[in-house]
Parts: sequence; C-alpha cells; structure tokens
Amino acid sequence: MALVSSKRTVSGGRSSSTANAFAAIEYQLMAKVLLIEDDSETAEEITAELSDRGFEVEWSANGIDGLDKARSLRPDAMIVDRLLPGMDGLTVIEALRKEQVRTPVLVLSALGAVDDRVRGLRMGGDDYLTKPFAVVELVARIEALLRRPAESRETTLRVGPLELDLIERTAKRGDRVIDLLPREFRLLEYMMQRSDQLLTRAMLLEEVWNYKFVPATNLVDVHMGRLRHKVDGPDETPMIHNVRGAGFILRAGP
Amino acid sequence: MRQPQFIRSNTFRWALAVSAVFAVFVIVLFGFIYWKIDDYLTARSDRVITVELDGIAGLSPERRLEAIDEKLRQDPRGVQVAAIFAADGHRITGNLESLPPHLRIDAPAHGTDVIRRDRGAGENQTVRAIARRMRNGDVLVLGRNVDEAGEISHVVGQALALGLLPGFCLCLLAGAWLSVRAQKRVEEVNQRVQRIIAGDLRERLPYRNVDEPFSKLAVIVNGMLDEMETMIHALAGVGNDIAHDLRTPLTRARLTLERGRTNAATLEQLQAVSDKAIAGIDQSLTIITALLRLAQIENSRRSAGFGDVALHEMLREVCDIYEPIAENKNIALQVAVKHRRSVRGDQDLLIEAVANLVDNAIKFTPEGGEVNIELLQEDSETIVRVTDTGCGISEQEREAVLRRFYRSDKIRSTPGVGLGLSLVAAIVKLHGFRLAIHSGGGGRVEIVCPDSQQG
Repeated sequence: MALVSSKRTVSGGRSSSTANAFAAIEYQLMAKVLLIEDDSETAEEITAELSDRGFEVEWSANGIDGLDKARSLRPDAMIVDRLLPGMDGLTVIEALRKEQVRTPVLVLSALGAVDDRVRGLRMGGDDYLTKPFAVVELVARIEALLRRPAESRETTLRVGPLELDLIERTAKRGDRVIDLLPREFRLLEYMMQRSDQLLTRAMLLEEVWNYKFVPATNLVDVHMGRLRHKVDGPDETPMIHNVRGAGFILRAGP
Repeated sequence: MRQPQFIRSNTFRWALAVSAVFAVFVIVLFGFIYWKIDDYLTARSDRVITVELDGIAGLSPERRLEAIDEKLRQDPRGVQVAAIFAADGHRITGNLESLPPHLRIDAPAHGTDVIRRDRGAGENQTVRAIARRMRNGDVLVLGRNVDEAGEISHVVGQALALGLLPGFCLCLLAGAWLSVRAQKRVEEVNQRVQRIIAGDLRERLPYRNVDEPFSKLAVIVNGMLDEMETMIHALAGVGNDIAHDLRTPLTRARLTLERGRTNAATLEQLQAVSDKAIAGIDQSLTIITALLRLAQIENSRRSAGFGDVALHEMLREVCDIYEPIAENKNIALQVAVKHRRSVRGDQDLLIEAVANLVDNAIKFTPEGGEVNIELLQEDSETIVRVTDTGCGISEQEREAVLRRFYRSDKIRSTPGVGLGLSLVAAIVKLHGFRLAIHSGGGGRVEIVCPDSQQG
C-alpha cells in the first residue's frame, strides 16, 4: 500500500480510503499516460498526481510534439487538452485515429457545452472532462479507460459472492436472492462490470442514467444507498464502498 | 470644387434620372404630334390641288388660262403655284419659270422642287404639286407651298418650352428638396444614435406619423431599442446577482483557509479546513457552470439534433429516477400518462427541464406530501404538468421565479442557487414551448407544447 501515504491533498484524494480505491491499479503499475496540455501548472499537478498513483506520465505542451510522442511512445492512454498551440487537440486525436491508433483518449476542455462534448467524442475521444475538474475525477476516468470492460458474451457477472444473471435478470449474494428493481439492476450491472474501480458520481450519472447534467439533488447517493442496503446485508462484509468526496467502488474484499 | 451634398445624394440622382426620362418622353411625344400634323396638312393640300386640277382640266384651253390667272390673283399669301406649259416645254402662263424637271406628269400629287417667277424668283422652292397633260398636249401644273412645317415646329417648340422646362425644373427642385430633407433626417437619426452609442439608452429615434416609411422604420428600430434596453438592464441586474452569489461562498472559503493557515495544528485539522474551502469553491463553480449552461441554451438556435422525444417514456424515466428521493422524504411521487405523445425536441434538454421541475417540486414539498407528473392532451396542445402540495408560488412571485438567482423568502433555508427555473424557461423557450406557472396553494407548473411543434 505504497499509495496510502500520498501526501498530495488534492480535492478528493485525501483519506486513506481514497488511496484504497486506487490500490487496484497496482497490478497494471507503470501504465504509460501521455498528457498533452499547454498550461504548465495544470500539467504539473496532473503529472504529480498520476505519478503518485503509479502511472508513468509523459508531458507534451503542444499538439505537434504531442502527436510525435503519441506515435513514438505508444502510451496506454492519453489525456488531451482541446485548445493547444500548434495543433488543436481534436486534430491530434483525428490524426491518430486515421493511423489506426486506438489508444484510449480522455479529452480535457474548458468548453463544457453539450455540443462540444459530442464533437469531442465524435472525433475519436473516448471520454470528455470539463475544466475545472477534481483530480480524483480525472484519475478515475483514466483508470476506467485503461480497464474498459471487454465485450463479453458472459451472461452472468460475478464479483466475490455476488452473482448477476443478465438473462434471468436476477441477483444473488451467496445463497441469498436479492430482489432488485430494474433501475437498481442497471446500476449494479454497471458497477459489477467495473468492480474494483472508483466510479465517480458524474460517471454514474452519464453512464447509468444518461444524464448530461448535474442535478441539484444528490440523486446518485440516494440510489446507491438503496442498492447498498439490498446488496450488503447487516452481518455481511460490505461490498459497495463510499469513497468520500469522490464516488463509489464495488469490490469483493473489505 | 466640392459638389453640394444634395447633388451627391441618391434621392437627387433618382430625381435627375426620372426628369431626364420624362423630358425624353415629352420630346418624343411632341415629335410625334408634329409628324402627324404635318402629314395631315400635306394630305389635305394634296386633295385640294387634285380637286382644283380636275376642275381646271375640265375647262376649255382659253378658260384654263383665265382660271389660272384668277387663281394666282386671289392668292395674297403667294402659296399657290400654277402654270401651263406647251407640249414643247415653254411656259404659256403661270408663275413657274419652267416645267419642274422632277415633276412626274399624270402622277398623284407629290413633293418637288420648282423655280418661281414671282416671289423669290430664281430660287428653288419645295412644293407639293400635280401635273397633267391636257388633250391638246399642254401640261397643267398646280401646286401649293406646304412649307407650314416651320410654323408648326415653332408652335411645338413653344409648347415644349412652356411645358417641359418648368416640369423639368420642378422635378429637379423636388429631388433636391427630398434629398435635403432625407439628409436632414439621417443627420438627426445619426445624432440620436451617437447618443445611444455614448450610453444614453433611453434615447429613441424621431418619427412623425406611422404611415410614412421612414417613420415606420424608426418605430421598428425604437421597438428593438426598447427590447435591448430591457435586456441590458436585466443583464446588469444579473451581473450584480452573480457577483453577490459568487462572492459569498468564495469569501467563506477564503476565511476558512486564512483561519486554518494560522490555527490548524495537525494534519487532520488542515484537511478539515481544506475540505470546507473546497466545498465553498465547488459551490462557486456550480454557479458558474449553471450560468454558462443557461447562457448557452439561451443563445443556441434550434439545433439539427432535434428528434422525436417520446414524452410518456421520458416522464416515466424521470419518475423512476426521483422515486427513491421522494420516498426518502415520504412524498408520494406519481406519474399519470394516459396517452402516448411525442414532440420534436432535444431529448437531453427536455429531460433536464422536467427533472428540474420534479426536483423543485420534491424539494419544496413538506414530508408526507404529494408530487404528481401528468401528461395531458388538450385541444391543440400537449401539456406536461407537475403539481405538488408544497407552498406554491404566489401571484406576485410568478414573474420573479424565472429571474436568475431569485429565491423566495419562504425557501431561504432550502439549499439551491436559484437558477433551476431560469434554466427550465430557457429550454422551454428554445423549443418554442410555453412555461405556465400557476399561482395559489400548491405548486403547479406546466410545459405547454403546441401541436404545431409535434413531429
């Protein structure tokens, strides 16, 4: 648990439970991330945070250099700012996609409009994050990109004692049958496909509920509370964990 | 030398062009009249001399001589030409020197050159003449000087001068006057506009009566200025609100950080301080995000991304999402959908609008209350109605709730930034729908979609 002693008190990543949330990435330690961002201070923060989390980060301050590095270094994931000197971020992604480079890309942008987002994703970005963002959100999304669930033909999802039958639409924890509403089933399915990953509220809203905006009420917490109530019985080891200030994580262990 | 300004003006040039066309038209008209009259007079005189020739030809040769002499005597103006030439060509009587060389004998009357003996002797003169060979071989020539064209052209010229010149001058004067007048008004408008640019938003353009095009334009522009003035004032108000609403959480964050810096002794204390400060900054960011989003929606056009949105499904979905929240507050959230209705719109934005209404309804309804979502079909419109058993919106507040940052005094204690309904209103307006807020006990807000909007 080398990550526990993370000294950076960036928003979100400040309790030991947060560090736990990222412990899972140890198995793919030294994943290489290319960061193309022209603001050096932002880049420094992101680099430091990602290095602390065990990523190997390469930084490039403009689009042309970024494109070169993307070709030569073959990173596992990329973080690309939209507005870059030399070459626009989206152009970089487009160029790479034309060369059949399928490296997952997280687009960063100060342009938060729905249209911008759609354009960013259409040009080949895999995820879109609007500035300003919490660093924990960035890390969670990068990790999600690195561990995107493979298209699987499995009809049953299993995490520890938890079992989800996608055909029968039933859930079991050990021998205990869990009675889920359709919306709860959808949420649990999403979480089980991404077990051991930190899922932020924004990610859940976008992916599970298809909400492109942040509602006033803490919708996610309420839904998660209900699901947890059903999944984690009173004398069972909790599986759904609330990572303070960041999001939620589903894992078999404590 | 610089031309006077009115000469360069468009109005004046038009007037000049029109008067030139008018002058050409009048000249052509007069020319035509001249030509017609000339034609008529010639034809008449031809007839006269032919009849006379017939008469004289019917006389005996002696009587003919008398008739010719008589005729010439009775012609004080000297317009008549008459003569008899022998077969060998020498003159027997009459006022012609010789048989005109180009005169065709036994032809109908035509114009020819003659040399007279009496008036202007020896000079060539053009007359209309007719000649006929008598039975005894003599040639009888009768003619008439029709050189009255000069008189006619004189009259025509006079008429032209009398009619055309004043008309032309009048046109030019009118053009100059109109152009000067237009220039004056433009100058006046320019001065007022300059004042508006300088910041006097209450200034308006002058107008006289609405039937005149210039005044019509002024009224239209004034309407636009009214709208803009309202908007600018609203904007200024919003600016103040934004400053206030942003400053509060930022001030709190600053204070927290400042105190934490001096007082925090342990890492835990410092982290607690940071958490609090971050929360304050997050709230400011939330406000900025909401404002940007609002501006973005208000400024966007109907996008090509519009599609058919199944309202019945959408309402069920929103209800599904908010059910647990309502349950937590012990509020009965129900959706009543009788018909399947679709409208043209942006699915994401419409969900956001309805979700905002439901969110509000749940937030402002006390525990044990009710929130109902209904989809109604009226004569020519589809209505999404959200009702609750909360405190409702009073008559005086109906307009105000749509203002940015407006928060009723009754709900001061409930968290929120006061942008929700502004956002809903903007989304509804973007779709060409209508937002109806009913006052009175219990909240009732409707999104009214006219049928013309349905795809």
